Amino acid sequence: MGTAPAQIPTSFGHELRACLRCRLVKTYDQFRESGCENCPFFKMDGDNERVVDCTTPNFNGMISVMDPARSWAARWLRVGRFVPGCYTLAVSEALPEDLQFSFLQALCEEVHVQYVAPKRV
Amino acid sequence: MSRGRGEEDDDIEDEEYEDEDQFLDDEDYDKDEDVGRGRGTSSKKRRRSVFIDDVAEEDDEDDEEDDDELYGGCGKKNSKAPRVASQFFDLEAQVDSDEEEEEDEGEDDFIVETGADLPEEDAGRRMHRHSLLVREDEQEDIEALERSIHARYARSSHTEYDEETTDVEQQALLPSVRDPKLWMVKCASGRERETAACLMQKYIDKGSELQIRSVIALDHLKNYIYVEADKEAHVREAVKGLCTLFAAKIMLVPIREMTDVLSAESKAVHLSRDTWVRMKVGTYKGDLAQVVDVDNVRQRVTVKLIPRIDLQALADKLEGREVAKKKAFVPPPRFMNVDEARALHIRVERKRNSITGDYFENIGGMLFKDGFLYKTVSMKSISAQDIKTTFHELEKFRSPSNNGEGEIVGLSTLFANRKKTHFMKGDAVIVVKGDLKNLKGWVEKVEEENVHIRPEMKGLPKTLAVNDKELCKSFEPGNHVKVVSGTKEGATGMVVKVEQHVLIILSETTKEHIRVFADDVVESSEVATGVTKIGDYELHDLVLLDNNSFGVIIRVESEAFQVLQGVPERPEASLVKLREIKCKLHKKFNLQDRYRNPVSVKDVVRILEGPCKGKQGPVEHIYKGVVFVYDRHHLENAGFICVKADSCCIVGGSRSNGNRNGDSFSRFSSFKTPPRVPPSPRRFARGDPPFDSGRRHGGGRGGHDALIGTTVKIR
Repeated sequence: MGTAPAQIPTSFGHELRACLRCRLVKTYDQFRESGCENCPFFKMDGDNERVVDCTTPNFNGMISVMDPARSWAARWLRVGRFVPGCYTLAVSEALPEDLQFSFLQALCEEVHVQYVAPKRV
Repeated sequence: MSRGRGEEDDDIEDEEYEDEDQFLDDEDYDKDEDVGRGRGTSSKKRRRSVFIDDVAEEDDEDDEEDDDELYGGCGKKNSKAPRVASQFFDLEAQVDSDEEEEEDEGEDDFIVETGADLPEEDAGRRMHRHSLLVREDEQEDIEALERSIHARYARSSHTEYDEETTDVEQQALLPSVRDPKLWMVKCASGRERETAACLMQKYIDKGSELQIRSVIALDHLKNYIYVEADKEAHVREAVKGLCTLFAAKIMLVPIREMTDVLSAESKAVHLSRDTWVRMKVGTYKGDLAQVVDVDNVRQRVTVKLIPRIDLQALADKLEGREVAKKKAFVPPPRFMNVDEARALHIRVERKRNSITGDYFENIGGMLFKDGFLYKTVSMKSISAQDIKTTFHELEKFRSPSNNGEGEIVGLSTLFANRKKTHFMKGDAVIVVKGDLKNLKGWVEKVEEENVHIRPEMKGLPKTLAVNDKELCKSFEPGNHVKVVSGTKEGATGMVVKVEQHVLIILSETTKEHIRVFADDVVESSEVATGVTKIGDYELHDLVLLDNNSFGVIIRVESEAFQVLQGVPERPEASLVKLREIKCKLHKKFNLQDRYRNPVSVKDVVRILEGPCKGKQGPVEHIYKGVVFVYDRHHLENAGFICVKADSCCIVGGSRSNGNRNGDSFSRFSSFKTPPRVPPSPRRFARGDPPFDSGRRHGGGRGGHDALIGTTVKIR
């Protein structure tokens, strides 16, 4: 497999967060260090605010995708296009999503990428 | 060349089905599957349309970089099949495209590489394959095309992704026999996520040696993880060496249940402030609580409860004294009284919650306010769905200080989370939430989630569909209703007041006001006669109770009786359960009243002293010196009065003989001062009727005086 896999979360406590667009799961610190491998245009690396805006700690279930191309589960969850890594099944966001949604949409539009809100519980 | 292209394609991810071709090893595998799939790109459409129009139309699915793969496969096929033959096939394909799809064997003969054919449904794909056969002669163009396609799709890979997020597309992604299977593996409890990450790491270290595709750890399924792989052997291999997984327990998930694994998510009941919940664990298990604060990050909620604190035990504990822990003893719920706590020398600290700005009393580490206990618990230890509360519980919850504003709020959330209420056709309802709030109507049809109502207002469509959570039964004062569920079931009466969800009904049987939820009531013209009998005991029976007290049953309720105790000083009606009654009392006693007239059942007496002085009525029961008199004008205790025998006197004749002298002294006269003695000599002559009623019950009853006819001597 050619693509470099995403970082694996180093701990499993409350610092775990899921990217709101691609649902990649990593710890807060990992996001801050290297951003999101699937969504580099979010520019989370180095920016605390961005990490908080673009990721959420409220998610449900976890799937480690080793081979997104060949995995049926990854395809079903629509992470089949992303790098191998740990993803979440669904995001259960408590905040009103309007603010976040439009912000993320703006970010995505800048790079001509369509933002689709990930599946929610 | 084609192979090279095939390799590239591996890198570019796609969402296609993966064919498992037994004939091929891994490298060929990817290419050929794509051939088989034959998904077209737009350029493909263009070209194909020349040959087969309907193929292009069918090709509405995801655009992939299949172009290359298809061409690659095509190239490969070229090397095997002779040109002439393929040309021949082209025509065949065009004409007989439909038939050929059905025939798997036919295709196999011509195309060796692809090996095992698609038994799959997708007709379009097969069509594409046929059309591929055409293109062997356009290889150079293919190359150029491939490049342009690559360029195009490298850019817009993200848009492609988004096109798929419709439900129709989701259907297309259902697992097939070619997809890897899901295997359920037993795992150490609490370590599911960690295990998934470990396997990820192992995969990174080992590369493609590890033949599993993904690992799924569900939050709500403890002790198990799912591994996606083609063979059980692969799973075993991957699991080897991990101490958290038990290779002994590997189970295959049936294909039809595979999507449930990924779609199964816990139903999160939306917890908001003021929601009613019930505690699931601890000393407060089963108690009703109200949510005060929700912390989603830490999955905890702060709830308000009625405290069950044993102050004495707490005091002992704080002072270090040994407390004999009574395991089964759960203190009854009672509002916390700070002064009581202080009296027992328990330290009470007044703390201020910085967030809300409220003052709390901290006693022994627990926070109290207004008598309620505020406790922070994890979301797992409360249950928020389908909470049925009784009126009684809600009443208790009303803060001792304020009087009911909180209640209405609480009730609405209660009804929001309630199970489906029973609406029936013809019920009068009112909308309580949403845009149509306060619209009245009648129920026409009831469905799963929605109720169709016929609105009262003109200008609206005939029927409106409203969610049943937004509706509530409506009643007007004056409606005659019957209670069909809840504690007051069976009562009928007239509505006197309506307060949103609560109705006040004047009950027919007990002539009291009862409060019920609107949900529990239906309109009806039935009039309840009331229950008069439970078990062996009927209304107005004299019964002996457990603790050797006795009383008269004055009212029969659903599961218990109201009994007027046989204590003359304190007339007290208490609620007694069926099992607390020992037996009925039948014994006939004869007592004497104040003036030593014998009193027995059914005599009319008048009460001479005490709070009921002046009342009179027939005696219903006598027992141990106590008389129960029934006065229908008496408003308390259903007209029953309990008096000592010597606080009353007999009035008039016994009821049974129907011969009543209204004169209160007539009785006495027959014993003490017989004013009719002078005429006694005439007794013999006339056989004096007035005396018939006198003397004794026994004698009077017969109406015939035993003295008649006897000879007497006057001294």
